[in-house]
Amino acid sequence: MIALTEGNLQISIQGAVNARKFDDDGHGLSHCMKAVDFILEFPDHYLFIEFKDPDAPDIPRQARAEFLRSFEEGQRDEELKYKYRDSFLYEWASGWADKAIYYLVLIAQHDLSSGDMLRRTNALERILPLQLPSSVTWTRPLVSGCGVFNIDAWNRNFPDYPVRRLL
Amino acid sequence: MPVTKIKLKNFTAFKDLEVEFSPGINALVGANGTGKTHLMKACYAACNYGTEDRSLAQKLVGVFLPSGRASGRLVRQGYEAVGGSVEVHVGVWHVRCSLTGRDTRYATTPTDPQRPDMKSVYIPAKNMLANAPGFLSLYEAREVHFEEVYRDILLRANLPALRELTDDAHQQLLENLEYVIGGKVTVSGEEFFLSNEQGNLEFTLLAEGWRKLGLLWLLIRNGTLQKGSVLFWDEPEANLNPKMFRVVIEVLLELQRAGVQVFFATHDYVILKELDLQMTEEDVVAFHSLYRDEDGEIGCRSTGSYLDIHPNAIDEAFDDLYDRQIQRSLGGLKR
Repeated sequence: MIALTEGNLQISIQGAVNARKFDDDGHGLSHCMKAVDFILEFPDHYLFIEFKDPDAPDIPRQARAEFLRSFEEGQRDEELKYKYRDSFLYEWASGWADKAIYYLVLIAQHDLSSGDMLRRTNALERILPLQLPSSVTWTRPLVSGCGVFNIDAWNRNFPDYPVRRLL
Repeated sequence: MPVTKIKLKNFTAFKDLEVEFSPGINALVGANGTGKTHLMKACYAACNYGTEDRSLAQKLVGVFLPSGRASGRLVRQGYEAVGGSVEVHVGVWHVRCSLTGRDTRYATTPTDPQRPDMKSVYIPAKNMLANAPGFLSLYEAREVHFEEVYRDILLRANLPALRELTDDAHQQLLENLEYVIGGKVTVSGEEFFLSNEQGNLEFTLLAEGWRKLGLLWLLIRNGTLQKGSVLFWDEPEANLNPKMFRVVIEVLLELQRAGVQVFFATHDYVILKELDLQMTEEDVVAFHSLYRDEDGEIGCRSTGSYLDIHPNAIDEAFDDLYDRQIQRSLGGLKR
């Protein structure tokens, strides 16, 4: 079991070949490349994971409301896109990114609705991009799948790497 | 004066239901067949009790249009011998109507002299403005099978404009609506037009969504929707592009702030979310969730918070969509 922490949130991981915090000081290129929070490696795939925590106790009420508004209106989509793409490039240039990669975004907002998660998942699929027009003849996908989750949806879908809020 | 409460016993789909309403906005949600429209129609009938010298039972028959216009058919099936009742409270005043399954015609009751003066309007899901020419005269002369709400909405839409709007908020609302629909609504004969510098465009050629907003413009301009009045709107989202929902909710909230009580029934997530995002702490909003319990009986839970709506049939539909989307997006991962 490996536990990784980002702020007030902790993810516990079973069955991973490797699990690391990606956007820490060891990244070295944070001045020019964005980075997801964690990269988990499993025998046949990677997980790129980004956490956002608007419910964190130290977030002022106004800032939380502003984040939620911008998230629901899709203004955070581009940031999430570039975090994934830059992380992919970084890993590719490092000689990795050699298995299917899934991108999981956790928005730790207790009242994030299924409608909001559905819309943002669709938006990420469109801009990463996940679905390609037939004229594009890539031999491998840039991303194999993506999803946006709140904590309940995350733990329902991924019982092998649950997330919990630290007290 | 706002509708404050309704009590229904063995009436249409309801066995025994009591709901208290907000004097501001009342959003009714629930799956099909949980009685949202019936609840609004019963309240609307009560608001119109005594108008045209008609009893509550008469008005109920008019707006529900049971077969043969028999008020007994409004009694819940299987309970005809027991009978049913409708009781609606408006402020401290209330009106009650008892029905039995034997009633082949409506019961008549004298008009209560204490009845408060109530202005109300019911906007049905189907917009009638494009079909207005000839409808009112046809309705008066013939047995056409349209619920009375269709006649009533045309009568109200046809009212002449007020000489002057005294409320600044209403004036601003009109200007906002004119900006969105691109003109003002005019009536010639029984025909409605959108009028602007380019000319007049008949409603039959106008997008359905703009007809709806045009109807709101008319009802504000002719004083139907003014302080103390009650607006009932069945599925405001019908035939409206979701981008227009923001305007619709802006208008409903402004009407509420100006003293209009609002009821609407919706199946739409975006409408509810718009209300959730736009309402302020000063706004008086209640969400009423109608549902069927394990015995199949209709119940209602009311809350002032969007997040506390439970059960929420709209969210449940989105939960299902979301789960299937995740299964498709991450199917390879979850196998």
